Amino acid sequence: MAIGNPDILGDRQSGQDVRTQNVMACQAVGNIVKTSLGPVGLDKMLVDDIGDVTITNDGATILKMLEVEHPAAKVLVELAELQDREVGDGTTSVVIIAAELLKRANDLVRNKIHPTSIISGYRLAMREACKYIEEKLAVKVEKLGKDSLVNCAKTSMSSKLISGDSDFFANLVVEAVQACKMTNARGEIKYPIKGINILKAHGKSAKDSYLLKGYALNTGRAAQGMPMRVAPARIACLDFNLQKTKMQMGVQVLVSDPRELEKIRQREADMTKERIEKLLKAGANVVLTTKGIDDMALKYFVEAGAIAVRRVRKEDLRHVAKATGATAVSTFADMEGDETFDSSFLGHADEVVEERIADDDVVMIKGTKNSSAVSLILRGANDYMLDEMDRALHDALCIVKRTLESNTVVAGGGAVEAALSVYLEYLATTLGSREQLAIAEFAESLLIIPKVLSVNAAKDATELVAKLRAYHHTAQTKADKKHLSSMGLDLVKGSVRNNLEAGVIEPAMSKVKILQFATEAAITILRIDDMIKLVKDESQDGQD
Amino acid sequence: MQSPVLVLKDSLTRETGSKVHRANIQASKAVADIIRTTLGPRSMLKMLLDAGGGIVVTNDGNAILRELDLAHPAAKSMIELSRTQDEEVGDGTTSVIVLAGEMLHVAEAFIDKSYHPTVICRAYNKALEDALAVLEKIAVSIDVNDRSAMLGLVKSCIGTKFTSQFGDLIADLALDATTTIGVDLGQGLREVDIKKYIKVEKVPGGQLEDSKVLKGVMINKDVVVPGKMRRKIVNPRIILLDSPIEYKKGENQTNAELVKEEDWSVLLKMEEEYIENLCVQILKFKPDLVITEKGLSDLACHYFSKAGVSAIRRLRKTDNNRIAKACGAVIVNRADELQESDVGTGAGLFEVKKIGDEFFAYIVECKDPKACTVLLRGASKDLLNEVERNLQDAMSVARNIIKNPKLVPGGGATELTVSATLKQKSSSVEGIEKWPYEAAAVAFEAIPRTLAQNCGVNVIRTMTALQGKHANGENAWVGIDGNTGAIADMKESKIWDAFNVKAQTFKTAIEAACMLLRIDDIVSGIKKKQAPGSGGPSKPTIEQEGDADNEQMIPE
Repeated sequence: MAIGNPDILGDRQSGQDVRTQNVMACQAVGNIVKTSLGPVGLDKMLVDDIGDVTITNDGATILKMLEVEHPAAKVLVELAELQDREVGDGTTSVVIIAAELLKRANDLVRNKIHPTSIISGYRLAMREACKYIEEKLAVKVEKLGKDSLVNCAKTSMSSKLISGDSDFFANLVVEAVQACKMTNARGEIKYPIKGINILKAHGKSAKDSYLLKGYALNTGRAAQGMPMRVAPARIACLDFNLQKTKMQMGVQVLVSDPRELEKIRQREADMTKERIEKLLKAGANVVLTTKGIDDMALKYFVEAGAIAVRRVRKEDLRHVAKATGATAVSTFADMEGDETFDSSFLGHADEVVEERIADDDVVMIKGTKNSSAVSLILRGANDYMLDEMDRALHDALCIVKRTLESNTVVAGGGAVEAALSVYLEYLATTLGSREQLAIAEFAESLLIIPKVLSVNAAKDATELVAKLRAYHHTAQTKADKKHLSSMGLDLVKGSVRNNLEAGVIEPAMSKVKILQFATEAAITILRIDDMIKLVKDESQDGQD
Repeated sequence: MQSPVLVLKDSLTRETGSKVHRANIQASKAVADIIRTTLGPRSMLKMLLDAGGGIVVTNDGNAILRELDLAHPAAKSMIELSRTQDEEVGDGTTSVIVLAGEMLHVAEAFIDKSYHPTVICRAYNKALEDALAVLEKIAVSIDVNDRSAMLGLVKSCIGTKFTSQFGDLIADLALDATTTIGVDLGQGLREVDIKKYIKVEKVPGGQLEDSKVLKGVMINKDVVVPGKMRRKIVNPRIILLDSPIEYKKGENQTNAELVKEEDWSVLLKMEEEYIENLCVQILKFKPDLVITEKGLSDLACHYFSKAGVSAIRRLRKTDNNRIAKACGAVIVNRADELQESDVGTGAGLFEVKKIGDEFFAYIVECKDPKACTVLLRGASKDLLNEVERNLQDAMSVARNIIKNPKLVPGGGATELTVSATLKQKSSSVEGIEKWPYEAAAVAFEAIPRTLAQNCGVNVIRTMTALQGKHANGENAWVGIDGNTGAIADMKESKIWDAFNVKAQTFKTAIEAACMLLRIDDIVSGIKKKQAPGSGGPSKPTIEQEGDADNEQMIPE
């Protein structure tokens, strides 16, 4: 202990102490999310100081909501967030693996193995593991058919609130992702899942959720007099005010003839009117704007039998424009200094209808021309449930997208981890250096996933994992038993089965990323051997 | 080992494991117990004192729970349920809480036996599916045009409410109002928008029996100049405006520099001319009544009264919309764009009446009103508030039936049938899910049991008799008559419930119970700022042009 170093205003800890503390903190974080892993994992209820409640099973969300204070533990929280951004799912697994890696590394350090040897061992193990997944374990999606997508979505959802209806939701998700398929300029096929609009309306039951081809805007039409339904719709997307024209702040008009005043007033109103007339002349019968529309202007739309919607969210407008082939217009001005609106700016859809979902009016744009936007309307008992459904579906959407893009899947339910563990252990024995121990520990720590899975399901972890390892050992040593490499856990029955056939699958890319991120995070924390906490400046005390 | 490692803030309190399960179940049961006595025709009212000292007297589940300030997060989640129910179908707010509470209560036994919550949830979901199938089976269709049947139905649905003592009154009102504003959308769809087109106007005084549905709209306004303008017009021509009939400055900041004295008078004159011009344009269409959402200057009043036109100013946007719907007028913004088709001629009578101390303008006897006002009279404000809540429920019921004309028996008969069927099915459920499934079946009996409790009969004897009648899946229509507590055939005693309401109750209750069961960890005391974006972006309140102006209404 070297407290009281004259140069530092604060605490300083170094060496083994700091490592132990860091590892303990990370363990604690891992333990928090541990129970939410797997199909029989449970949810957490988070209550903030105002009393707002969040109910969730998503590792990243749980950790984000908790105020993790310890600096090392914060690394793990960020890790979960990173996984959420990159892959979208597997946030719980990544945290658990990282925590386990650290725990084992700490034991090694206590046995006088230098951290750098462990780090290089971990790195090597991680590289080998990723290679092994890609070469031996990954299965092409084509081999398994379209069902694999549904199964991926189901696996991702299995731990969530909606697991009971996973068949229903998995199909919903796969349909949604496939509907927004598009090919970009370079011929690559992309699935922009951001184009999937998720609307939440409480009421009815989860099973009454549905997918809507087209886009739903969460606002009603601007005036009651407008028609409820327009078909076929020609949509104009505007990004400016349809209110009385107003000059910039601070601009003053000085007139000497009082009559001029009246003219200015008149002109203000007329300008908007002319704009609307141009819109209507171009053939628009649905007008969406991100800004306001004057009450005065509404009448023209009512008379023309057009639907106008004001205060549309900007991203919504962008998606609508994309889906219908419209151009979002921010001004009418053209190069000649006049104002024009060309009918080519209009987007097309079969139908625009105002519908009522629960107590809200929603403008639906159906049968869009380019159809790259779909909406998922979620229904459920209350808002907390809807929020959690939203998160679960987001994860599932990401997973389906990854599966489609990477095109390879692996068996879930601890199969990959067990296979890797067996493989790495064998690899470790072939190495004669110090790294051998680190790789062996790495192999051992991967087993944490099947272990936690079986513990959460209240099954005998030791027995199941032993069985699992035995299968994988056979698969790797005997050439004719290759198919055993997809053996994983069946957590409902508490047995071992072929998960590839049972439809418990995950995209290979997700597993690879989990290993990479977890190892990197573990290494980051492992490298620390000194922590200095500065005493807070007196002047900043007030802000705390 | 040295000082403990602090990962989370001290201020956070964390509870885990089965303790959480128990706490959640306890909290939910507590909520259910609060409103248990308000179920059924023999229910009692609750009196609530809100923070502002106001009194709410009600037996509407949602209205009671809304006023409660509960600390436990699970209890809050329960309250949300009744709100959902209220918004979606408008009725059954009490049942949903009682049922959800019971579902959790029976789950407690399994938690004690260390059943895994996911197993219970799976069983519950299965039970829900089967329950809905049973509902589908016993539902009967009804002809929405058969008024007496509809009336009986609405009556039985709101029979549990305070106003049931006034007989058919509320049911009549609700049915009249909803059939008036029902719109055929084509494709067999019927839309009934209660929020937009039905206005409930409460006027203290008189008797409850004086309440009625107007064939048109009533507003709490008088004509602008009481002495000079007509207060009764037969077959009025109505013009609706949402612009002011007074001089309004432009949006741009304009300054006029006046050098000559004449200019000043020109300026003033221009303003006058502007108003005159407006009035002339309006008067060209020979209206009898001009209504505007905004202001009306004294000068305009003068022109109108000279022409024998009555005028009303500062009307609410929603009211204006209703008048437009009732008399077939189009709301116009610019007077110079008035057309003959914009003038509303559908109303048969415009009349200003004085009720108590206030004047009310009636636009009634409309030919084809698509909006209406329900005028409620009653002894006190609290009474009227409760009557209004009942009326809202009744209208929702009527709307549900118009939208989905299917019925299930009331008085607990439906729950008993569901329970009996599920009990039979439970023997065919595989694995340990059998027990929670059976428990869910028993939980459905909470509704008839509570009914029996509230009407003061011997609960055990009644329930046993009822179970006996339902045991072999027959007698689907036998339930409890909530008034006498006798076992009766619901078909004969005409006690019904809307299919929508029942289905929604089951769905909401079971799904919410599952959600609460799945929680094994409660962390509280998180600071809000630490979680940006996690609760979903809150909707910014948008100030709309029309609303902004309406807020500034000056009381006359």
